[in-house]
Amino acid sequence: MSRYPHWPIHLALSIASAAMLVPFYWVLKTSLTGENIFTFPPSLLPESPHIFYYVDVWYAIPFLRYLFNSIIVSVIVVVANVVLNAMAGYALTRDFPGKGATILLFLSCMMIPFQVTIIPAYLITSEMGLLNSYVGMALPLASTIVCIFVFKAAFEAIPKSLIDAARIDGVPDWMIVFRIILPLTKPAIATNVILSFIWSWNSFLWPLVIVRDAQMQTLPLGLARFLSVVEDTTGALYAFCVMVLVPGLIIFLLAQKEFITGLTSGATKG
Amino acid sequence: MGWLKNRFVYTFGGIALAILAWNVWVVLNDDGIIRGEVVSASGAPVEGATVKLTERTLLVARPRGETLTDADGRFTFTGHDLHHLFLEASKEGAGHAGPLEVRLYFKGENVNLHTPLRLDGTT
Repeated sequence: MSRYPHWPIHLALSIASAAMLVPFYWVLKTSLTGENIFTFPPSLLPESPHIFYYVDVWYAIPFLRYLFNSIIVSVIVVVANVVLNAMAGYALTRDFPGKGATILLFLSCMMIPFQVTIIPAYLITSEMGLLNSYVGMALPLASTIVCIFVFKAAFEAIPKSLIDAARIDGVPDWMIVFRIILPLTKPAIATNVILSFIWSWNSFLWPLVIVRDAQMQTLPLGLARFLSVVEDTTGALYAFCVMVLVPGLIIFLLAQKEFITGLTSGATKG
Repeated sequence: MGWLKNRFVYTFGGIALAILAWNVWVVLNDDGIIRGEVVSASGAPVEGATVKLTERTLLVARPRGETLTDADGRFTFTGHDLHHLFLEASKEGAGHAGPLEVRLYFKGENVNLHTPLRLDGTT
């Protein structure tokens, strides 16, 4: 039995959690009331809430088209991340000449912001003929270094004897990765799925650069376009924000247990 | 079938069912019929009042039709494809009513207005 009561900690955590949720609550409240955000004093509870701003947005923009585009790009990114990062993570658990330098290169590349490499990325994508395409939008996020290290940490926690036994039986490396190791590292897969999905879902700058056709725009681009066309509709704008946020929130809430486990696996040894 | 019993299937399956039910509801109620009544300042039905229907979007408002009330003061618009509209009524000598804002959950939703358009009696 603990010597100290738990309630002060729970109270502090509850207050911190409530503070974190206030912006989400405010966006949701404004989407239901259309209240001007500069109103003073602000009303904490929604007055006369309704969902008609969502109806306005639904009919004002091709929401389904944007949603479809975002889903296609996110699915490509998620699949590519799981496959490519698993292979890269597995390679980094093996011994090979230049392994230290490779890891150092990866870590140093993490410090380069994407904005710095956006011009060469654009030129490469253009040379490949992938401008204004789903694959082109997904390409820069197809493999991310953070997720490679998540897989690497998870793979290192698997007993080496298991992999050695498979090797002795003549199992090829790709089958070791996809048939033996991956089924044992579901939290790492969930972490990869969630992180790559959210990064892809929220990606704005890269799609803005390479998408030229309005029919190929994703939800963040649609949001920016909506904001530029319709200026004086606070409620509709916030309703659109909620519609963009909800899919990511659902994915995160559904897989948060695996997500937390995946992020913390490898944090402790033994 | 055990693999189907998880929170992902329940969540997305529930969402799919809700979407299906909503679309069935829309199909059954999207004939685009608006019914209402125009009454005088004293509450008596007004025959021959002109009712104007105006579409309202996030960007523009544009007239979409007009009709006359019958002997019971009732009016009907059919085949509209709007989700946000205004109704106005007027009659020479009986006054003006509205605009009454009507917001619908989907385009072409059938609606019976419970509040009559009440002419203000001004000439």
